[in-house]
Amino acid sequence: MKTATRVVIVFGILGLALGAGLVQGQQPPSGEYKIGVLEPLTGNLAVQGKLHVEGYEIMRDLINTRFGGVMGKKLVFAVGDAVDPTAAASEATRLAAREGVKIITGTFSSTLCGAASEAAARQNVIYWETSCVDPRLTRRNLKNVFRTEIDGTGFGWYNIEFIAKHLAHRLGKKTNELKIAYLSEDSSYGQSVTESARQRAKQEFGMQEVGPEYYTFTTNDLTPVLLKLKAANPDILHHISRDQDAILFWRQAREQNFQVKAVVHAGATGYGNPGFGKAFGNDANGPFALLEPGPGLIIEKFRPEGQLVERAFREAVKTKTGADVLAGGHQLAGGGLWVLKLALDAAKTDDLDKFRAAVLSLDLPVGSAVNGWGVKFDETGQNSNARVQHYMLQWQNGSLVTVWPEEFTTHRAKWIPLGPWDQRK
Amino acid sequence: MTALPQLIVSTLLLGGVYALIAVGLTLIFGVLRVVNFAHGEFLMLGMYLAFWAFALLHFDPYLTLVVSLPISFAVGWASYRGVMRPIVHASHNVQVFTTVGLSIALQNLALVLFTADARFVRTDYYAVVVRIAGAAFNVAQIVAFAIAVALTAGLFTFMRWSYTGKVMRATAQDRDASALMGIDTDRVYAITWAVGIACVGAAGVLLAPIYPVYPTAGLQFVLIAYVAVVLGGLGDMAGALIAALAVAAVEVVGSYTIGTAWKEVLYLLLFIGILVVRPAGLFGQRGAEALGA
Repeated sequence: MKTATRVVIVFGILGLALGAGLVQGQQPPSGEYKIGVLEPLTGNLAVQGKLHVEGYEIMRDLINTRFGGVMGKKLVFAVGDAVDPTAAASEATRLAAREGVKIITGTFSSTLCGAASEAAARQNVIYWETSCVDPRLTRRNLKNVFRTEIDGTGFGWYNIEFIAKHLAHRLGKKTNELKIAYLSEDSSYGQSVTESARQRAKQEFGMQEVGPEYYTFTTNDLTPVLLKLKAANPDILHHISRDQDAILFWRQAREQNFQVKAVVHAGATGYGNPGFGKAFGNDANGPFALLEPGPGLIIEKFRPEGQLVERAFREAVKTKTGADVLAGGHQLAGGGLWVLKLALDAAKTDDLDKFRAAVLSLDLPVGSAVNGWGVKFDETGQNSNARVQHYMLQWQNGSLVTVWPEEFTTHRAKWIPLGPWDQRK
Repeated sequence: MTALPQLIVSTLLLGGVYALIAVGLTLIFGVLRVVNFAHGEFLMLGMYLAFWAFALLHFDPYLTLVVSLPISFAVGWASYRGVMRPIVHASHNVQVFTTVGLSIALQNLALVLFTADARFVRTDYYAVVVRIAGAAFNVAQIVAFAIAVALTAGLFTFMRWSYTGKVMRATAQDRDASALMGIDTDRVYAITWAVGIACVGAAGVLLAPIYPVYPTAGLQFVLIAYVAVVLGGLGDMAGALIAALAVAAVEVVGSYTIGTAWKEVLYLLLFIGILVVRPAGLFGQRGAEALGA
């Protein structure tokens, strides 16, 4: 055999071997179970993405050290950076093909979860969403997709529930006398929450509406919006925001002396982000944000198994971050990963059909898991809105505190209606 | 129309913000013929400088402004020597890839050093407004606007009448002929780049009491600054100021009358419309982009 031919054969075999190694990912040795964690770690969405990864890591360590791992194995992660939808899809493919994971969890953002879950479906791996609220995620008949958090419809539902059942009577108005202005950043997250809130407010309670007004969250000026809002004079502003736009809006609202009786938001961004309080201190007082439970929560209202994991998680977050107050990203990621552990322990396998059957058969009442959540997935892979208990928090003296439902908290909502800007102390 | 005074004020103040960023960009393009895609990131670094000086040393942003000028100039000089100098005579493709790469590197450096949190310089006077005829003037924005106008006028004067300015213009017109006349063109490029970065660094400090800062904060301003620079005529400072005000007017009035979701559509339609009629921009000269090539 000629030397050249030998070289070609040797390099061909080496190439095939290398290629096979690259394409065919491997689970770690027995004793460990690896899943993919996909979050935006760079770019505009990285604030929340990093919080989610930290939440996953805290819960992973807790599961491994105190709750026996998953399926009796130590849980380990392969992490991917989903900076945008294109990267979300390519990283999901990499995690499945090269890291060999059978489950990918992430991606928190409604701009990312659609692309990531499609890619996961093509690789025939399970996509376990813990945070994104775009309703379309679970409406595509994909058998591999599951979501532990409520969807945008649920956020809108809860916000209107709070407005109708709590704010209306404190404002001395009937629900059909309330005028709600809808303002939102224009991602699928903002639109889905806003549209579901509008639908319920109008159809169920006959509330009057102003707007909706949508904007790009990187906008540099919201004064024109404020001028329109001032002219419309709504009772309540339903504002879904990211981070920088909430800071811009609040500063400009104060400059324009925009008076509204209440501001209601949903989610861990914007008014729900601790950064909002850091930016304004006591000047942040007043807005409400629908979130996971914050300070004031009465954990004793949970079921015993829920109390156990909730306390352990809170201790672990405090040990890791030094913070008494949990960030929303920690709670969504940690809460979602805990439900995944329950599902894997019940299924005892990551085979899609058996795993899916186990997930659909989970039936845990409110108060059973982290955040006081319960579990009951429907055929679309969506956890039940009614089981995923949510809470209204309010900025009070530089902190977000739980104010509703009142039976779960020691704090009470203040400044209803919101007074002049300099009197919210 | 009761909103009219406020719409005019918002236009002026927002236009001032855009002009502040566009001035340095158009200066660099005018002399070096390089489109600096990392301009927004130098803005972001200026904002962080103001934030950390305020958070750690309790420096008022306007005090930081004074310190920021030599710091930004030094950063500009170093970035020219380290990154731009080898590619200043290279093809446009190489320049684009280099400045885009610099942009991504600076964004991610900020992400690693400062995290992705949106931070805000909350001065004692952040909410102080002056109200005249029903319009609210944010003090920090008034200062930014005034400095934008002063900076444009100052740079215009400097370029027109100072010896260094004449040397810079000569280099912009024909770099080979300038070299033959004994001008150290490399030094001129370094000074121009550093002055441009000092301008945008100062702009960042001035924006810190107005907008939150985070690693990609520059992107939301710089796209509009590019539009203003092209619209005003590449390399024309007064043109950039007027174009920045025009873009702000379309943005503010469009948001109010049609809807906020439409504002990008509106100012980009204006951009396309003007370029169809005047391909060199409002005040630019035809073929100016080829000068000095």
